[in-house]
Amino acid sequence: MKKMYSNKAVIAVLVGPGLLLFAFAVLAPIILSIYYGFTNSTGMGSYDFVGMKNYKELIHDEAFFISIRNSALLALGFICIQHPIAMVTAYILDRLGGRAEHFFRCVFFIPNVISVAVIAYLWKFIYNPDFGLLNNIIKFFGGEGKVNWLGQDIAIWSVLIVLIWHGFGWGMLIYYTGIKNIDPTLYEAASIDGAGSVQTFFGITLPLMKPVIQVNVTMALISALKQMETVYLLTNGGPGNATQFTANYLYQQAFRAFKYGYGNAIGVVFIILCVVLTVITNKVFEDRDLKEEKKLNKISMRKEAI
Amino acid sequence: MHTKAKSSAIKHGSPFSRAVIWILLIVVAIIQIFPLVWLLDFSLASSTEMFTNGLLIIPEKFRFDNYVKAFVDGNFLWYLKNSFLINVLAVVIVVLVSFMAAFAITRMHWKMSGLVKMILLMGMMIPIHATLLPNYKIYSTINMTDTMWSLLIPYVAFSMPQALFLMTGFLESIPKSLEEAAVIDGCGIFRVVFGIDMPMMKPSIATVSIMTFLNNWNEFMMASTYLSSDKWKTLPFSVLEFTGEYSSNYAAQFAVMALTAAPAVIVYIILNKQITKGVALGAVKG
Repeated sequence: MKKMYSNKAVIAVLVGPGLLLFAFAVLAPIILSIYYGFTNSTGMGSYDFVGMKNYKELIHDEAFFISIRNSALLALGFICIQHPIAMVTAYILDRLGGRAEHFFRCVFFIPNVISVAVIAYLWKFIYNPDFGLLNNIIKFFGGEGKVNWLGQDIAIWSVLIVLIWHGFGWGMLIYYTGIKNIDPTLYEAASIDGAGSVQTFFGITLPLMKPVIQVNVTMALISALKQMETVYLLTNGGPGNATQFTANYLYQQAFRAFKYGYGNAIGVVFIILCVVLTVITNKVFEDRDLKEEKKLNKISMRKEAI
Repeated sequence: MHTKAKSSAIKHGSPFSRAVIWILLIVVAIIQIFPLVWLLDFSLASSTEMFTNGLLIIPEKFRFDNYVKAFVDGNFLWYLKNSFLINVLAVVIVVLVSFMAAFAITRMHWKMSGLVKMILLMGMMIPIHATLLPNYKIYSTINMTDTMWSLLIPYVAFSMPQALFLMTGFLESIPKSLEEAAVIDGCGIFRVVFGIDMPMMKPSIATVSIMTFLNNWNEFMMASTYLSSDKWKTLPFSVLEFTGEYSSNYAAQFAVMALTAAPAVIVYIILNKQITKGVALGAVKG
């Protein structure tokens, strides 16, 4: 038995395909990006090594910093607007029960299964100054309805709205699952004690949802940093670089501005940013969990002492 | 008993709080679904009818010919077939590869298992879009652009880490006793892997399949970078290409969008329960 479970050839056969795929589709491109990041390649023909020039340029590149700022704004939008609404909706949904619960859960999640290609073009029409839905809604309520939603000043907010709207179902569903996992006897106890809905939410649901909130916040931060597809189709970073995001910017630099070397340098920095952000958020939440566990242990120890 | 207690606030609460709850639910539902209703409505009108001040239009007659145009000129069936084929293959390969790796990592005895697991999971942190530029170079060097593999390989590679994570977790929770009995009966290792363990993994295989499908079904960045001809283009291209061709026929554009969105929405409504469960499991543990 033991011999069979440590057969090297079998292990190689089992892990081999996974490792090969990883090496070919993930590792090789990263190494190639690091290599091209040090060159002035245009994507075609010959090129020279330019050392750290691309990285020095990046430090002074305003568009890159706008991208980071936009990611930060998006993350804030997710956490401060999308998540609170998603959590309250999930909480209500859980207590609804029956067909209504099923129906609303389905409705809230539908935008999420629709292709970004459709979503981006649909919102282009919604923002259309001539016959767009949004301006028509403003007219419907008696306004003038001539807002240029994708114009310089407000384009970024319009983009954020689309992203927050499209991702809502996902965030809601995760909170919903978290709430479903809460022990129902706790709610019974609360209702026997005469707690109302609002009290129960803040007293029981919210504290018990901490781990789920952490998962959701982590995912929001990272997906805000990684955002590309919606922006690529909706505004392609414009007007100017007002709605630029990092992934879109590196793509543009490489394939539109023919600065393939520079695009790769941005790619390298982008990968580092994503890894660092993932590691930091995991660390922060882990440390917090440990501290809280210690606190709980202390409390229970004290109780035992009493 | 407990369901009664749970829903008490909603069914037996004061009329005021009940009204607030329903208004909130309905407002959120309208915000989420109205743009899609609008899409469907406009897709049945004619382009000239769109310049209206109302929110929805009642078309003079339903323009199903918009859909005919979208269906034929949007290359709908061909792209749907490509999407379906590539995604099904991706799911099968992801399940197989990650299950095999998960078995080796959790069950077999070897020194590097921890390290290999860590390396494979690291893929989760890497942003897909950072690999677009170098992968384009690699694929064009080895003549892999414009083939099915240029989509299949990255789709599988980027879905694998999460699948592996879910499967190692699930495998650890399965007791080894059944395996041991099989080995004593003379089963070889591959019989154990595929004949004994794999059938027990059904719930996590379902989750992994749903996650992989959802992640890749709507993908188009890689597709538009690595593909040049129609041969392997996927469903999102119906919209991307059609809107260019019919740039002034708005109604037909609405129709192609509605048509492209339809398969995923219909499947979601039918498999609502399973998908909700799958997404929840995958996300909370991932």
